[in-house]
Amino acid sequence: MTSARSFVALVVVAGMAAVVLFILHLGLGTVWIPPDRVIGALVDGLADPTDRTIVWDLRMPRAILGLLVGCMLGLSGALLQVVMRNRLAEPGLTGVSTGGILAAVLFLGGVWGLPQPGRLLPFVVLVGALAGGILVLLVSSKRGGIDPLRLILTAVIVNAILGSLTAIVMLRSNYALGNILSWLIGSLHGRVWDDVWLALPWAAVAIPAGLLAARAANVLQIDDESGRALGLPLQPARVALFGLAGVLAAGAVTVSGAIPFVGLMAPNAARAVAGADARRVLPLAAMIGCLLLLAADLVAQSFSIKPPIPSSAYRVGLPVGAVMAILGAPLLIFLIRRSTR
Amino acid sequence: MNDVEPIRLEQVSAGYGRRMVLEGLDLRLEQGTITAIVGPNGSGKSTVIRAMSRLLAARSGVVFLDGRDIRNFGSRDIARLVSVLPQSPSSPPGLTVRELVELGRFPHTGLFGRHGAEGKLAVESALTLTGLSGFAERPLDELSGGERQRAWIALALAQGANTLLLDEPTTFLDVRHQFEVLDLVASLCASGDMTVVLVLHDLLHAANYADRVVVVDSGRIVADGAPSAVLTVELMRTVFGVSAKIFTNPESGRMVCLPIGPDRS
Repeated sequence: MTSARSFVALVVVAGMAAVVLFILHLGLGTVWIPPDRVIGALVDGLADPTDRTIVWDLRMPRAILGLLVGCMLGLSGALLQVVMRNRLAEPGLTGVSTGGILAAVLFLGGVWGLPQPGRLLPFVVLVGALAGGILVLLVSSKRGGIDPLRLILTAVIVNAILGSLTAIVMLRSNYALGNILSWLIGSLHGRVWDDVWLALPWAAVAIPAGLLAARAANVLQIDDESGRALGLPLQPARVALFGLAGVLAAGAVTVSGAIPFVGLMAPNAARAVAGADARRVLPLAAMIGCLLLLAADLVAQSFSIKPPIPSSAYRVGLPVGAVMAILGAPLLIFLIRRSTR
Repeated sequence: MNDVEPIRLEQVSAGYGRRMVLEGLDLRLEQGTITAIVGPNGSGKSTVIRAMSRLLAARSGVVFLDGRDIRNFGSRDIARLVSVLPQSPSSPPGLTVRELVELGRFPHTGLFGRHGAEGKLAVESALTLTGLSGFAERPLDELSGGERQRAWIALALAQGANTLLLDEPTTFLDVRHQFEVLDLVASLCASGDMTVVLVLHDLLHAANYADRVVVVDSGRIVADGAPSAVLTVELMRTVFGVSAKIFTNPESGRMVCLPIGPDRS
């Protein structure tokens, strides 16, 4: 569908779009900094120190995390759609979002009632997320193998159970409900460099590993018998790709909570523009994921609300998860209508 | 001719779950020949191909690949020696012919290797041999059934294996495309390097294209030899339950097996 040259062109365009969005993202906030001053603050050590402080200390972490989270979710969704043989699959079906959120809710809900939960929270979410993914894998495997359809059904069921446990715990305690809500919806609000240092190594390992799975993903996309005839052990390959998708999604949920839709939309958009070959779909899905997330977070930041929580005195930006679907859906519908008969 | 046969089955039994499909099969392929496996539905024809390529492990007996026990091979090692085209292969929507054929290099590159010059050459020559060079950038789902089948054969060729196992490659094709695919297979064999096994339903094709016909019934080989020796009126009655007329085509000298109705004797 796409020649090698037009694929390179797509990647270049997406890369440039990411740079533009990144700079706009750094400019946007309580104080608007125009792009030329953002670039100055980035490259020129002698630029206005206030600009430099705002750009580097306050806004850069959030922009970097938006980039990483979008990449990880897009790639995770693309891998999962291969493993599950289904274009409706999205990172949440690994069980890591519901697992991570249940852990967060248990933790914040005062079950362990620590006075300073903030620093520990990401680790708690990460452990919960990975546990959720392992649970889905364990429940769905039968004699060491996973079947795509059984995997989807199991994932939906496990997610439902973890979701109702979360609801029950939330009803038992209203402590920090607003905080929990932002995990449920997915938000990048108030992220700092510490969060970047947590996410960056994770992403630096998981994203390349996910991209390297392209060839196995291609073999998994044809029928099982033909795939085995090419010498790929299907079950270990499926488990490995599911694991990668889970690790990527767990990284994302740890940083930002359960941002919906981007992991569904990015791979579908990538397929619509680049065909089926995973060597193109995987990197494009990652890039589109990061574009979408940055764009959605830009929009989210431009609207502010006063949270309905008694303790909150100020207005905050919308959580990115709340605008993601509204923003992305029209584009996805357009691409899908164009690429299907 | 090579003294080591590409594939040899020795007393091979194989099956699914508790159901045994093949029982003590002995079969030895000759290099550079086309062997047709025929037999009624459920007789175990496909299972023979699956056992030959270890897609299904033998329960007892031994499969020899290039003279060595197939159990000692890695999966990708087998795939470099034997290409299998299953009965109803499927590819994801939007995958182009070239992308499909490149998958044939998987046994050589593995998960992380790169396509070298040799791999590119193998893909190009597979596309050329199957007459698909002009279609290489087209998605598979836009092609006709015959072209699609040729693309899958091209994938098998790009594997670079010398033994090709095709499971009912003509089943969903109209009669012209059936000939097209079988002519392609015959031309591959003409050089003498390629050994082909075809599972066929159409006995006319078996008689026309195969050097040797193996008749499988209830998991056993009931006849094996040149088409003219194997496809007899008697065999058509006992194995397939039909009465048939057997002629010789005066032009090709090949025999023609014409089933005319269910056996009522």
